Amino acid sequence: MATPFPSDVWIKALKDRLNNSAAYAQAAKNWEGDLYFQVDYADRAPALLYVDLWHGQCRDAYAVAGTETAQKAAFRLSATMENFSKVLKSELDPIQAMVTGKIRVQGNMVMMMKNIPAVLEFVRTAQQIETEFLV
Amino acid sequence: MNGYQGRLLTVDLTTGRIETLPLDLALLRRYLGGSALSAALLYPRLTRGLDPLGPENPLLILNGPLSGTAGPSVGRFTVCAKSPATGLWAESNCGGFFGPELRFAGYDGLLITGKAPTPAYLWIHHDHVEIRPAHHLWGQADTYLTQEKIRAEAGEKLARVLCIGVGGESLIPYSLLLCDHGRVAGRTGMGAVMGSKHLKAVAVRGAPGERKIPLAREAEFNRLRSGANLELRNSTTSTVLRETGSSGGAEFFDFMGEMPKRYFTSGVFEGAGRVSGASMAETILSGVSTCHACVIACGRKVKLPGEAEGKGPEYETIVGFGPQLLVDDLAAITRLGRLCDAYGLDTISMSNVIGLAYLLYSEGKVTAAEAGGPLEWGDPSAAERLIHLTLRREGLGEILAQGARALGRHCRAEEEAVQVNNLEVAYHDPRASSGMALVYATSPRGACHNQSDYFMVDLWKDTNYANGELQDPRAGAEKAANVALHQDWRTVHNALVQCFFASVPLATTLSLVNAATGFDYSLDELREVGERAWNLKRAINNRLGLTRANDTLPKALLTPYAEGGSAGLVPDFPAMLSAYYAARGWDEATGRPTRATLLRLGLGDVADDISKIPPQTGWRTD
Repeated sequence: MATPFPSDVWIKALKDRLNNSAAYAQAAKNWEGDLYFQVDYADRAPALLYVDLWHGQCRDAYAVAGTETAQKAAFRLSATMENFSKVLKSELDPIQAMVTGKIRVQGNMVMMMKNIPAVLEFVRTAQQIETEFLV
Repeated sequence: MNGYQGRLLTVDLTTGRIETLPLDLALLRRYLGGSALSAALLYPRLTRGLDPLGPENPLLILNGPLSGTAGPSVGRFTVCAKSPATGLWAESNCGGFFGPELRFAGYDGLLITGKAPTPAYLWIHHDHVEIRPAHHLWGQADTYLTQEKIRAEAGEKLARVLCIGVGGESLIPYSLLLCDHGRVAGRTGMGAVMGSKHLKAVAVRGAPGERKIPLAREAEFNRLRSGANLELRNSTTSTVLRETGSSGGAEFFDFMGEMPKRYFTSGVFEGAGRVSGASMAETILSGVSTCHACVIACGRKVKLPGEAEGKGPEYETIVGFGPQLLVDDLAAITRLGRLCDAYGLDTISMSNVIGLAYLLYSEGKVTAAEAGGPLEWGDPSAAERLIHLTLRREGLGEILAQGARALGRHCRAEEEAVQVNNLEVAYHDPRASSGMALVYATSPRGACHNQSDYFMVDLWKDTNYANGELQDPRAGAEKAANVALHQDWRTVHNALVQCFFASVPLATTLSLVNAATGFDYSLDELREVGERAWNLKRAINNRLGLTRANDTLPKALLTPYAEGGSAGLVPDFPAMLSAYYAARGWDEATGRPTRATLLRLGLGDVADDISKIPPQTGWRTD
């Protein structure tokens, strides 16, 4: 059964997969930093999903009820639902999405560039979730 | 003349004659500027018998139509001649502030011929042009001090100085020109050409109040460039470059197997991550630097313990003196890069030559006695020793000063030298990005990543100039047409002369060029400027003796790595090359553009010329 995105259940499914992935644990062994997925809509406030990533493990994951209470995170990945869905469906290369601004990256680029294998493995893990994209 | 000052300054150093040469508007429309226009202007002069280090070899310094404006990263200029390294077409472009200043002085470019009877430098102060003695500068090791002394003599603190080091004076075929804070025209030995003319430097300062370039539609241009710069400054790639420099992608390229190690023989080096731009940012980075009106700021300033702040290394220098020698000491790499800059040596070629020396030493083909000591992988001090030997042309240094192929030949191991047409290969491995196989093999100036940085398409996925289509980084012949297209666009950028780091949408580039020049090209007409120049440079090289046999790759790049991100892979080079010839409209037997291709590009006179060339059986610089 497909898991809806963006949702609390989807981000928790990602947490489970990350914590059960030896490949992610290895690729992200040096990663320190939490991040938001920010899904932008034309007609309403963005949806936020939070994950706390630490040395190859996901320590916490949840959907944020509103932007006002969202805590500061090391990274924020923002995109439209269309572009997030393309990446998660493997229709858009994640590097290309970032390079072309289809996914906007805010945060420490030094950390990001040192850990590109971790980023790619993170995306590969997310792509394994059978996802229903909520419009 | 919109987009141009409309004239070149010409200086004959033999006679001391100084003149201006008007530029023809129709020629500008066909070639724009930079290395494309240079090819058109130099075409009649570049003959097979021309000695690259003789007084007749013309040295042309040329801007593009946007130089001196605040357009996106357009402050570069190009230097062209016949190369003493390759015997072929030479071009090398450079950032900093020199090019725009030459435009502010009222010239689009500078054509230098002849040879000064004694060392000299050129002082251009708007319409006042003077050949000054440089005895006191000749033999001056430090290119930075040379700049300071000339500025002091000129009484102009803001004069921009383009100079050679001892490398250029010593006619080393991979010596460079340097200006400002370590911006260089590094490849193809333009320093040696300038040195052969007894010309130490060119200094320029435009007159106050005339620091504007005439533009066809100034308000439109300013609106466009403001938007383009804002978009560029906020892009992910620019952010990466600003925060981590050109070596910010080092870990990524290492992960993808695109960064060569141990002189192209290993796909893995555990220390690679310790010498990246990200590591630099976390350790020795003290600031950033820019070229004229650039919003990216990729230049690095670093502070080493107990030393003054200075230039930090960029990607090629880091890989060449780092993973290629199995060195993981960022401070040592920084010092080696600075030493090359001070001496005026290209770090790509110098580090290649040293890498080959280390490899041959490991194979017992170079001895410690002739190298002045052992050459152990991981030891940066041996590299420093070899740089000094090279400068002095002492012992093995005499061979090192001739380049990697000469060293290989000296050791009866020429096939181990990683070069194409005697230009040492840059550090983007075609075993990970197959497009680079064609780029290196067909570049008009030898193995070069600045005729097309196709690795940015294959791996960084920037398809802005390559049909918007993603292909497998390891794909073969099906990629050939896209590589040719990318080369065409990059030739347009080398005509503008625009930094490759400025990934501006093509439509924006077109609008900027049209607003500046009033040429009102269509997008395909603009691309065709690039294709025309690419074919003209090919024809120049054909006239200089280049054939299809020159379109090769060295053995190392066709030998798969045992480990790493590109393990087991090699490009399907023969099939790719044939497909490329078909895409280009080049003749498989002769390696020349066909008559039909040249006629389509309006190069009928060139077609007539190359039809008269007798069939060549191969070409070497020696």
